[in-house]
Amino acid sequence: MERWHVVTAILAGYLALTLWIGLRAGRKRSASVQGYVAGDRDFGLLVMYFVTGATVFSAFAFLGGPGWAYSRGAASFYILAYGVLGIAPWYWIGPRAAAVGRREGYVTQAQLITGRFPSRTISVLFAVMSVAAFVPYVTLQMQGAGIVIEAVTDGHIPLWAGAALAYGIVVIYVLRGGVGAVGWTNTFQGIFMLIIAWTLGLYLPTRLYGGVGPMFEQIATQRPELLTVPGLAADGSPWSWGAYSSSILVSAIGISLWPHLFMKAFTARNDEILRRTVVLFPTFQLFLIPVFLIGFAGVLFQGGAPETPDFILPFMILETDLPAIVVGLFCAGALSASMSTGDALLHAAASVTVEDGIRPFRPMDDAAQRRVIQILVVVVGVIAYAFALDENSSLVVLLLTAYGIIAQFAPPVLATLYWRRATTPGVLAGLIAGSATSVFFLQNASLRPWDLHEGILGLLVHVPVLVAVSLATRPQDPTHVAGFVADDALHAVSESPHG
Amino acid sequence: MSLRYARTLAFVFLAAYAVAVTWPGMVPFNRIHPLILGLPFSMVWIAIWIVAGCLVLWMLHRVESTHRARRGLGDDGAD
Repeated sequence: MERWHVVTAILAGYLALTLWIGLRAGRKRSASVQGYVAGDRDFGLLVMYFVTGATVFSAFAFLGGPGWAYSRGAASFYILAYGVLGIAPWYWIGPRAAAVGRREGYVTQAQLITGRFPSRTISVLFAVMSVAAFVPYVTLQMQGAGIVIEAVTDGHIPLWAGAALAYGIVVIYVLRGGVGAVGWTNTFQGIFMLIIAWTLGLYLPTRLYGGVGPMFEQIATQRPELLTVPGLAADGSPWSWGAYSSSILVSAIGISLWPHLFMKAFTARNDEILRRTVVLFPTFQLFLIPVFLIGFAGVLFQGGAPETPDFILPFMILETDLPAIVVGLFCAGALSASMSTGDALLHAAASVTVEDGIRPFRPMDDAAQRRVIQILVVVVGVIAYAFALDENSSLVVLLLTAYGIIAQFAPPVLATLYWRRATTPGVLAGLIAGSATSVFFLQNASLRPWDLHEGILGLLVHVPVLVAVSLATRPQDPTHVAGFVADDALHAVSESPHG
Repeated sequence: MSLRYARTLAFVFLAAYAVAVTWPGMVPFNRIHPLILGLPFSMVWIAIWIVAGCLVLWMLHRVESTHRARRGLGDDGAD
């Protein structure tokens, strides 16, 4: 039996197990839309922790992170830095959003915003922007899965087939189980990939260089430019501090506003679980360190180079003649990183499109809505798959672009929950101005001042416009506002500690 | 520790974090040596802030939980 047969067998076993867990978890859920989209608001701490962590810790971290460490050095440290900064404010925002969501029965972010600022235009804008951000994100997860499968099977299963296989399974369990399946498979995959990351991150430097310290000493001698921030740009020239710093800021602002993560606030059993998830979240950032070590191990590797930096992880694993069982387990870990994010994204993209893009215009009953969500899961999957076949894009760049869009959700969310004087025209004007600015600088990258990320430039326009237009228009009815901003409204929501 | 004090501290910490890992706060600590646990100092510097973030969030959670228990409410405890 050839080596890649063993690897493929392990992989097949892993995929079968994932499918089985997904289908089993799906069986207990209620058939209502609320059950399908929000998982009956019934996630415990363990599941919440891994849902959040595994969803964030995606193919981007597992393949894009090492790819950047390998080709751009310390530029990759931005990925390490932003998580804590982004998740901490969620300690207060999360329970607040959840309290209003429970009271009003919201399942999406736009429902929260348009609850306070009634506007079908805002609702549709949110749906369009969410899907625009989701497609590159799903695309990079699919490419990740395809890269891993192609690499470990020696090209016997090409990228297009590997991506189709892995995401065929993802679509099946999302269709069967909704968010319930997403939660349970993420728990399983989350635990799995943490073990793999640490094992390989320590094993590779030790095997190739005699330890982590000796490896960095050698890199410091031969490629010192890789070890200090801001590292290198994609073309190998030094990266700028402006781009490095604003990548951290835009990612920190965006991280908790991703619709698939924001919707988790509505699925949590109670606020305590949300808060604990936030407190535990930074531990996930530390798991990125061993993943980066794998990328750095490739820098001075003598045995050749991968076809693109995103292939560095599977490339290193294969070039070092590890036992087939280790390669198989690694492959499953990276696949799980891709799939556990991809499933949440597909599910959220479809739910958001229906809830915010279609339902405000065309009411439908629960069964019809569920059916449409299921159709859209397949549609979004197919669109992302079409993009995934184009291999010219870096995984990290795809994600950073999506973050620029998502960051524009921050001002409306904060205005909804914290600023009494905000008005519907203000929020709408800010959203349009911010997005337009962001798109402009995405298209005209050379015009960016100090090389700042287009999402940050968008926010610099977005916030003043929101404030100015709000102040220039008539204030909202205070009793309406009180349902979202005032603390007494939150006091009225009783919370059972046992859900 | 009072709630207001804990929240102010957490906020100040987050602001310091944001400056420390970007320009210009990162510049003085942006160096390869000394290697700590084998890792370059630039990476360790960021890791230190992450670990500190874990501790700060944990302490904040303790103070907030105590406060909530005293009020017997599930709200966010703001005055």
